[in-house]
Amino acid sequence: MQDHIQIDHKDINRDLLSGVLGTPSWWLGAVVFLTLVFLAGIGAFGYMLNKGIGVTGLNRPIMWGFFMTNFVFWIGISHAGIMISAILRLTQAEWRRPITRAAEVMTVFSLMAALMAAPLVHVGRPWRAALWVFPYDFARGVWPNIRSPFIWDPSAVMTYLTASSLFVFVALLPDLAVIRDRATGKWAPKIYSALCMGWRGTPRQWKLQALAGILLSALVLPVFVSVHSIVSWDFAVNIGVEGWHSTIFAPYFIIGAIHSGVSAVAMLMAVMVWLWKLDKYIRPDHFDAIGRLLIVVATTWFFFFFLEWVFALYTLEGPELALRELQVFQWPYIFLFILFLMTAYFIPVPLWLFKKVRRSIPLMFFTTVLVNVGMWLERFLIIIPGMARKTPLTFDWGTYHPSLVEILMVASTFAWVALGMLLFSKVFPLIPIFDIKEGMVFRDEVKIGRRTIPASIRE
Amino acid sequence: MASESAAQPGKLALDTPVGVIRDLLGKYQKTGDAYWRAVALFGVLFALGIIGFIMRLSDGVSDKAVWGYYAAMFAFILTTAQAAPMVAIATRLTKAHWRRPISRAAELWTIVGLFNLILFIPLLWVLPSLEDGRRSLWFFGNVDDIPIYSPHIWATLALVFLVIAGLMMLWVSCLPDLATIRDNSSGWRQRWAKRLAFQWRGTSAQWNMQHHRLGILGAFYFMMLVFVHFLISVDFLMALVPGWIDALFPATHAANALQAGAATMLLTLFFLRQFGGYKDYITLDQMWLLGKILFALSLLWFWFWFSSFIILWYGKRPNEQAVLELLMIGPYLPVFMAAFILNFLVPLFTMIWNPLRKSLWGPPLIATSVIIGTFFDRIRLYVATYTVPGIGDPAVDKHGALAMDAITKANLPDLADIFIIVGVIGGSILVFLLATRIIPSVSIWEQRELLLYKVHKPFHRTEVMVLGKRD
Repeated sequence: MQDHIQIDHKDINRDLLSGVLGTPSWWLGAVVFLTLVFLAGIGAFGYMLNKGIGVTGLNRPIMWGFFMTNFVFWIGISHAGIMISAILRLTQAEWRRPITRAAEVMTVFSLMAALMAAPLVHVGRPWRAALWVFPYDFARGVWPNIRSPFIWDPSAVMTYLTASSLFVFVALLPDLAVIRDRATGKWAPKIYSALCMGWRGTPRQWKLQALAGILLSALVLPVFVSVHSIVSWDFAVNIGVEGWHSTIFAPYFIIGAIHSGVSAVAMLMAVMVWLWKLDKYIRPDHFDAIGRLLIVVATTWFFFFFLEWVFALYTLEGPELALRELQVFQWPYIFLFILFLMTAYFIPVPLWLFKKVRRSIPLMFFTTVLVNVGMWLERFLIIIPGMARKTPLTFDWGTYHPSLVEILMVASTFAWVALGMLLFSKVFPLIPIFDIKEGMVFRDEVKIGRRTIPASIRE
Repeated sequence: MASESAAQPGKLALDTPVGVIRDLLGKYQKTGDAYWRAVALFGVLFALGIIGFIMRLSDGVSDKAVWGYYAAMFAFILTTAQAAPMVAIATRLTKAHWRRPISRAAELWTIVGLFNLILFIPLLWVLPSLEDGRRSLWFFGNVDDIPIYSPHIWATLALVFLVIAGLMMLWVSCLPDLATIRDNSSGWRQRWAKRLAFQWRGTSAQWNMQHHRLGILGAFYFMMLVFVHFLISVDFLMALVPGWIDALFPATHAANALQAGAATMLLTLFFLRQFGGYKDYITLDQMWLLGKILFALSLLWFWFWFSSFIILWYGKRPNEQAVLELLMIGPYLPVFMAAFILNFLVPLFTMIWNPLRKSLWGPPLIATSVIIGTFFDRIRLYVATYTVPGIGDPAVDKHGALAMDAITKANLPDLADIFIIVGVIGGSILVFLLATRIIPSVSIWEQRELLLYKVHKPFHRTEVMVLGKRD
């Protein structure tokens, strides 16, 4: 971190609470637009419930399409919050401070989006899911099959959602007290007062809050690894679809999730700078740091992608080779495959090697959007071609065309995450106030010869 | 986090550049009796290894089963000693100050890579060529004009580049220290340092170049390390078992190396601190932080193993079941269990406790567990694999073979194998010990640089340490 800007605590309060205590001019319009898109998705879902799953493009043999692609994508994005927040907190990386909150909140909303796009949506009659659980029909001796992804996925995702929400809440406590002291009106002070649970900033409270943060960071990491591992095993334990039964899927999915998730955080940082004018807090140095991290993450992801492909060819099994041929050489997959590789790795990573690019907010925004386009396509290319190929004992084969219903429902998940972030920003600060203040206290300088370099206090 | 002792009363000499130079040069030039006793001990072990190798050579190279332990020891050194420099590389790339007293010791292990390169040579004769028909990364049979010795050629080239990158990194890192030795000592050390210091004068251009070269060489070493593990784990291991297809395994092999490399460094630091006289430099901070990394890597060991296991177990394909039988639940079950306990369960249930991680004895003891566990892990992988019949026999195996016919019983070590095991371990430590006499075990320039970056300042009613960070 070469920027050394000291900001007064009063200014920090004013800047970071401006979105909560006031309303930016663009905010209402954005909320209305996103709500409309979200409602369009809900409408499409209602239409699907009414008419049946035939209104989607799903048909034999491709029974997993946009919904499942979107589910895996949002699970991936949700990994960013924990990645940025927990790991960087445990390693005491100073540059984490302005971006942890937004990343954590994105985790929560992305997980909700994943649940919206989850397998339940396209089982046909989702309301029946409630009947599987409550009231449970013990009398007939039918028990949930614990070998089914229907048990693994909801358990993992709900655990992760609970842990992430707790993570966000613990980190919010000191900031809630700051808002409590400034909120006006009849209800707001009372609500914030209840939420901050009597926070007074005593040494004991700070100690407990820091301890809880560290403990939650350490405990949530295995949960974060398990969630995407389990999602990957939905595919990998299946030996019936070529390209899925691979041991590498769990680490490959995780690193892919981190790749897309950290890219999404960089996108979010750019949006925060542009819309909320937080450029005093999110500096080019932060983009530089996240750009360096992305080079490492993307290259590790590419290594796993390479392994996955090498071992598909290494099997020398006819059906596996035929699938790869389909993925790479046949329309429309050839176009999607090239687009995926270019956007997920070959355009962004070489650009990130240049410091000027890493420090440019528009370029970082552009490249990280590309990564997420690529990573969405990656999931699509994992899921669809394997099922599209003709296999023994199947009488149908063909390709997949998403219907308008599916497109609207996918769009609504994007709208939901953006809408959630906007609504959150109206009631809570998107940058942790206490963390920024703490960073200012720890910040110092050291003089070496004629140069002054940034430094930080170590306990 | 920096060396605590430099700030302690009574250690004021270490707060000045001159004090650091005098102290570290003194330790480097002084050789005690204990050192020579250790050299003699490991020299004897190494000699036993040479005897074992000659005995093994008398069996010829046509039966690869008898070379299983030899291959395992090569892989063990690749996984431990040759991965230890990653501790210096990773911490230097992340600009962690706590690396300063330990980076040189990590880099010194690159010299052992040269020893391992020599160990690798006989394996080239033991490994069947692609002509005999088997799976390979080089897809023999599908692509014309692929040399039948492709695995041999590429693995050798990769290993040579790894060793060269390591030695280059060590040399570039040593340049300022060589100049210090040149200017502050006499005799053979001065003559030797003068030649290798290459006119180092400490100009800004030289420092900048050294900084950049260290970064590039470190990144290159890491990439080559991963690449070597990829090639060795596939062409010298997986390809020898019909039906063993595990896309994650090369990454697992490399991840095991990062874990074992961290463990090797923890043990090295312990010995340097307790017996090398570096108590003022290697403190609990280094043990604690490296212990945390070892803990994380031990969790990674489990995750990688489980990710492979669950897919092979769940798939229930005959070839996958046979691989599990061979490597985990069959004749090598006790060896696998030992590896599982020592590499994962012991670190998990001990390193989870902060007081143990922060102790002087805890992390080295756990590191010992991990190193022994890695030893067992390499044994179960390589010895079991090298006993699988078929590969290399055109009548039995063609790359269409989907699974092993039968699992052979466990191959126990004979006298030659035992000599080879102690000889390889003894030889590696001997090489490291001899290297510490030629090159200082603690980097002098990095310790001096720390004095520039570290200041103590009053903070409210206490005094705190402030650490600067370079670009």
